[in-house]
Amino acid sequence: MGLLTILKKMKQKEKEVRLLMLGLDNAGKTTILKKFNGEDIDTISPTLGFNIKTLEHRSFKLNIWDVGGQKSLRSYWRNYFESTDGLIWVVDSLDRLRLQDCKQELQSLLQEERLAGATLLVFANKQDIPGALTSEAIKEAMELENIQTHHWLIIGCSAVTGQNLLEGIDWIIDDIASRIFTMD
Amino acid sequence: MSASTGKKKGGGFLSRQAKSKTVTEEELLKKDIITPDDVLMLSKITENYLCPTEANIYGIDFTRFKLRDIDSGTVLFEVAKPPPSDNGDDDNYDTEDLDPNAGRFVRYQFTPQFLKLKTVGATVEFVVGDKPINKFRMIEKHYFREKLLKSFDFEFGFCIPNSKNTVEHIYEFPNLTPAEIQEMVDSPYDTRSDSFYFVEDKLIMHNKADYAYNGGC
Repeated sequence: MGLLTILKKMKQKEKEVRLLMLGLDNAGKTTILKKFNGEDIDTISPTLGFNIKTLEHRSFKLNIWDVGGQKSLRSYWRNYFESTDGLIWVVDSLDRLRLQDCKQELQSLLQEERLAGATLLVFANKQDIPGALTSEAIKEAMELENIQTHHWLIIGCSAVTGQNLLEGIDWIIDDIASRIFTMD
Repeated sequence: MSASTGKKKGGGFLSRQAKSKTVTEEELLKKDIITPDDVLMLSKITENYLCPTEANIYGIDFTRFKLRDIDSGTVLFEVAKPPPSDNGDDDNYDTEDLDPNAGRFVRYQFTPQFLKLKTVGATVEFVVGDKPINKFRMIEKHYFREKLLKSFDFEFGFCIPNSKNTVEHIYEFPNLTPAEIQEMVDSPYDTRSDSFYFVEDKLIMHNKADYAYNGGC
């Protein structure tokens, strides 16, 4: 039995899933996290560190990490890669000006060895606001179709209305579960 | 109020359950460095703090605590530390004469309704100083008298210098029988907790709290 198999089996027992949520500043990461957990989203200030939620969802123990996206904080992202099962990349669908920035940051993450085994979910956030780019348009602009190294999905969502948050999280958990846990 | 101090060991449910690997507070107090494994082997609330306040050389400071009822979405309790004032009039001045442990002990008063909640979310917010922190870990144990009600063991890992961070643990309230609930309501402050914080497997903070559930009675 290889080490990886043993590790997988150990993890399987608790069904613990670690999700890392990243993206440029003002993408809506913290709002997504709070909305998903039924928390008030009226007063959210820029994240100058991390926000973690641990919760049970569909008999999985989820640990969701939201790390601040300001430029000065991005060099610290690497400290949170270890043991990540799923990467949630949040895009501000109105921020056309920084879409290339956004694409580059994601591309460099996908080259990280410690994220090699992670499933990727891209949330095209702020779909409730008129003028938002569609998830299709973002997929093309960010050339997501070229990703061969990770299981991925892009889905339009709104952190404010809650649209598609559950669908996205359930997809990433299902994908992780099918890779890591033996289904029972 | 009958605290469990001085009671002979060997009788409680927990000590039977964890008999194979327990350690006493007295043994730990003799050690230079206390590790997560050490406190995981403790089977009851400690009488003393297991490290001095000066052990926190990282400037870790808890600035907010919030409890909410997940099922109804209501905030049950929230307390925030006011930000330091700008006029240089540091509040350390006023507290110097007080109990040095004042900052690490909290007393909570809840109503009996609190014990009937199903799912709660407990949020803490903390700031860290100008040094990066590696392997930050929290172990928290809640007891009613000798009985372990709930324990948390969570590794935050890395903390960014000068960051402000939050963590919310959303969890099912332990199942209590009506008789147990009544006993807890009738015994204010016999429900107690120890919170241990480690950096790189070394104890650097120890906070305590006790709880009453007879509010409004």
